[in-house]
Amino acid sequence: MKDRNLIRGLFLITISLGFGLVALRYPRGDFSRAGPGMFPLIVSSLLLLIGVITVVRSRFVEHLPLTFNVKHIALILGSLIGFAVISEHVNMIAGVIFMVFFASLAGSAKYSVVRNLKIAAGLIAVALVFQKLLGFNLPLY
Amino acid sequence: MMEVLHNLAFGFGHALTWQNLLFCAIGCTVGTLVGLLPGLGPLATISILLPLTYSIPTGGALIMLAGIYYGAQYGDSVSAITMKIPHASSIVACIDGYQMTLQGRTGLALFTAGVSSFIGGTVAILVLAFFAPMLGEVAFLFGPADYCALMLVGFVCVSFVTTGSLINGMAMCLIGVLLGQIGTDINSGMERFTGGLPFLADGVGLVSIALGCFGIAEITKNLDNKDERTPFNGKIKLMPTWPEFKRIIPSALRGSVIGSFMGILPGGGPVIAQFAAYALDKKVSKYKDQIGNGAIEGVAGQAAADEAAARTSFIPLMSIGIPENAVMALMMAAFIIKGIQPGPNMIAGHPDLFWGLVASMWVGNVFLITLNVPLVRYWLSVFKIPYSVLFPSILFFVCIGTYSVNNNLDDVFITATFGFIGYLFLRLDLDAAPLMLGFILGPMLEENFRRALLLSRGSFVPFVTRPISGTLIGLIALFIAWQLIAFILQVRKGKAAEKPALAEA
Repeated sequence: MKDRNLIRGLFLITISLGFGLVALRYPRGDFSRAGPGMFPLIVSSLLLLIGVITVVRSRFVEHLPLTFNVKHIALILGSLIGFAVISEHVNMIAGVIFMVFFASLAGSAKYSVVRNLKIAAGLIAVALVFQKLLGFNLPLY
Repeated sequence: MMEVLHNLAFGFGHALTWQNLLFCAIGCTVGTLVGLLPGLGPLATISILLPLTYSIPTGGALIMLAGIYYGAQYGDSVSAITMKIPHASSIVACIDGYQMTLQGRTGLALFTAGVSSFIGGTVAILVLAFFAPMLGEVAFLFGPADYCALMLVGFVCVSFVTTGSLINGMAMCLIGVLLGQIGTDINSGMERFTGGLPFLADGVGLVSIALGCFGIAEITKNLDNKDERTPFNGKIKLMPTWPEFKRIIPSALRGSVIGSFMGILPGGGPVIAQFAAYALDKKVSKYKDQIGNGAIEGVAGQAAADEAAARTSFIPLMSIGIPENAVMALMMAAFIIKGIQPGPNMIAGHPDLFWGLVASMWVGNVFLITLNVPLVRYWLSVFKIPYSVLFPSILFFVCIGTYSVNNNLDDVFITATFGFIGYLFLRLDLDAAPLMLGFILGPMLEENFRRALLLSRGSFVPFVTRPISGTLIGLIALFIAWQLIAFILQVRKGKAAEKPALAEA
């Protein structure tokens, strides 16, 4: 069942319906005076067509398995979201430290607190250079 | 002729100020360094480094961006030659370049790539200086329908060139166009697809999409692959002998001409130029039987074409105002962030920026050959950093890059969202580069589409009857027909192959 080509088609159809159904609610006007809903509707219809073609085509070509590794992408996204939330509520230095420690769980090398501390210290130094010398507006502390 | 020389001299006057020289040098160096990092091609490199240019005056910022771009290109070819780590922009360099490394001639390969890039860049700048203003005149003949057709040609070509599959590429272009619709409609002022979220009223940030789809997704892919790379430890002897040097020149010149031409075509650019130059050298070179096994020609031609196309692909952007590939789309966005609208009016309206940029490209070339080529052994030490140190650092730069566009932490969430979508794309074999082009061109496409229909009172006839758009749409139709026939033939062949197999069973 996990055919990459088939899933791709279904994915495209989902996106096209997502945009297309919302676009239906916007005023369309007519071709000589197109409203805001006209163009997105045309584009999402084309995308729907491509999605359907992809699904049909997947019947004719070789089935390829879909590989999806949840762990790494979840860790990376988690570290980004954590960085944003902590920077918002505490400060950005804490955010950087959290990001380094959390993201490193995804690395293939052995987990090392000392190495993470070194990376975090280096990155905070870079952030300070950005703030002081290049005029970036970073809420570091 | 005299006018072009005069303009170039004017441009050098701007490019050779201390400040701009410094920006150019920083751009080239940082671009090379980041371009070397595994998994970061020109698109990711430019979007990560984009925030560096925010606080710099416009002229310097453009010069630095261009420097980052060709620095990243060169960095790519270095990692391709020494360790066979290709990005989309340096696939061909892996063939003969890596063979030369295996034979212990890394230094010669790197020197060849450097010198050929210099030759290619120089030829391309002459082409750029002559053709961009000329094409700018042509651009004034374009009506809204013609612009639409041109953008569609761009979509079709980019889809085919970057992904090899018209359907997948077009799907990504269309998704990009739809993402570009998020935000306030410029004609009616109505908010579309924002879901009531106030930070989406201005649309999705380009940097968020680029860093999500190219930065985050690539990092995750590298983590999934888990291959630890052995850093390059070989000796590098840079200076070639005279006979070796003589072999570089003809091949590099051929590559420059092909590259310059390929760079101008819609959907063209460095990738297709490299393949074309390599194919030509395989046909006509004096040493053609050695190509593929580490011949100088196999490196020189494609490196020159790569560099030449990287520069001439600025021509459609700066003279017509339509970027022809994803990197140029990103460049265009960077121009707009700095308040410059690329297009036929740019050359006349901001001659200092245009000619300064053209001249700085040559200055950048000189930097590449004098700084980066001799220092390449130090650059390579980047690879001694283990990936477990590298990827948290790249993540950090992604965060800082996203945040500093608007000094807003909400953008980090959008980047994370696109990181997830980008990873999904990657796993579904969908290339995100056409999406970038669709995203940037989407609003322009809609505007011109609506304007064309307004002028024709709702009739689609002008799209076909106007000479420019008619020709372009005819080309698209031919192309789609060709793809369809090719697919049907392929399926039939597959069926025919199956039948005997069944008969045997």
